[in-house]
Amino acid sequence: MNASRKALLLVGSPKPGDSTSGSLGGYLLEELEKRGLATETIRVTKAVRTEETMEELRAAAASADLIVLSFPLYVDSLPAPAIRALEVLAEPPVGPAAFVAICQSGFPEVDHNEVAIEICRNFARDAGFEWAGGLVLAAGGMVGGQPLRKLQGMMRSAVKALDLTAEELAAGRPVPDEAVQLMAKPPIPRIGYRFMANWGWRSMFRKQGRGGSLKDQPYA
Amino acid sequence: MNANSGGAALLLDGRRDDDPTLALAHDALVGGLDAGGWAVDDWALRNDRIAWCAGCFKCWTETPGVCAHHDGGRTVAERWTHSDLVVFLTPVTFGGYSSELKKALDHVIPILQPFMQKRRGETRHPQRYARRRDLLVVGTVSAGQAEGPEAGTFRRLVERNTLNMQPPRWAVGVLESGAGDWEVRVAVDALLAKVGVEPARDVVGAGRQEVVA
Repeated sequence: MNASRKALLLVGSPKPGDSTSGSLGGYLLEELEKRGLATETIRVTKAVRTEETMEELRAAAASADLIVLSFPLYVDSLPAPAIRALEVLAEPPVGPAAFVAICQSGFPEVDHNEVAIEICRNFARDAGFEWAGGLVLAAGGMVGGQPLRKLQGMMRSAVKALDLTAEELAAGRPVPDEAVQLMAKPPIPRIGYRFMANWGWRSMFRKQGRGGSLKDQPYA
Repeated sequence: MNANSGGAALLLDGRRDDDPTLALAHDALVGGLDAGGWAVDDWALRNDRIAWCAGCFKCWTETPGVCAHHDGGRTVAERWTHSDLVVFLTPVTFGGYSSELKKALDHVIPILQPFMQKRRGETRHPQRYARRRDLLVVGTVSAGQAEGPEAGTFRRLVERNTLNMQPPRWAVGVLESGAGDWEVRVAVDALLAKVGVEPARDVVGAGRQEVVA
């Protein structure tokens, strides 16, 4: 039944290599594939490079029954190339596939991501897609671009959320509330996450820094 | 910066095309700032090559405060830091900023430090510089949509930005496409006044009224 249905993953991270957005979206796509959907993955940075690639993006979206945009939070919103991809898909509207957004950020609270999800919902309406829900992951630094299956224990809530989401999407239903709640559950306490993050930045600076301080003010 | 004291304004012009309402808003902003004695760094982003911020965080861990890209993206934090007022001009795009504006804005994280601190119940990055910039954001929506859902999302986005950028003063205005020159100038002048710029010019017509939603 699902053999003729296609899911398209748009990886909205501008990172050239492995990304947390790719990990989350990739896991969901694998689960959809297990449930009989054909899948395709496109990185937005490549898709918006030329007129030709933008036309390919539009064609891929037009032939999809389900589109998943997985992206990192950049300055309270989507990264620029992900916005560009949405502009391309809305001018003129490509619809009518179901559209799902997964937004993750390095902050330990999910509230930071709410406006970005709203933007995705507005896009879905404008571009003629059917809004099928949004998932938000806080403390995305815990994933750090690694495959989600490798982190199952620590990220078990996120894994369960994506499993539930795959089940419902494969059946043609929207993202369930239970999945939204599970995904939003912080993998570790916030205070611990902040401590680890701050330790991590200092450690990276010791290895990579070219002198000075993490608090340098080059343009003061 | 006090009104009419000749501060420096950075205008991040995120227009994607020649939308006439945005063109009027741009001219009103530049004219108003100029009339108020401000120096304007008027940056038409669509004319500049700025690579996407790759999220490499080298601006935090390798060369703190300086972007690793060797293009216009590197100058965003510097131009931002050297201004007293930052202005965003953009078509409201699904409730957010245009990709043209965002390609520059994504490069602003060097003005923050990487550390995470809890502030008013949420985690934030501390400011790298003690001195803050005021923020003015002007967007356009389709006619009749100034109170629509996208305009609402847009205002919430700007508010989120202010929580992270902590401007001393800020204002956001949503103009409707098709607004006339006079309407746009009145609206822009009202917005400029909210961030301490008093354009020393007369707006044609009597009875200034708030037309900014």
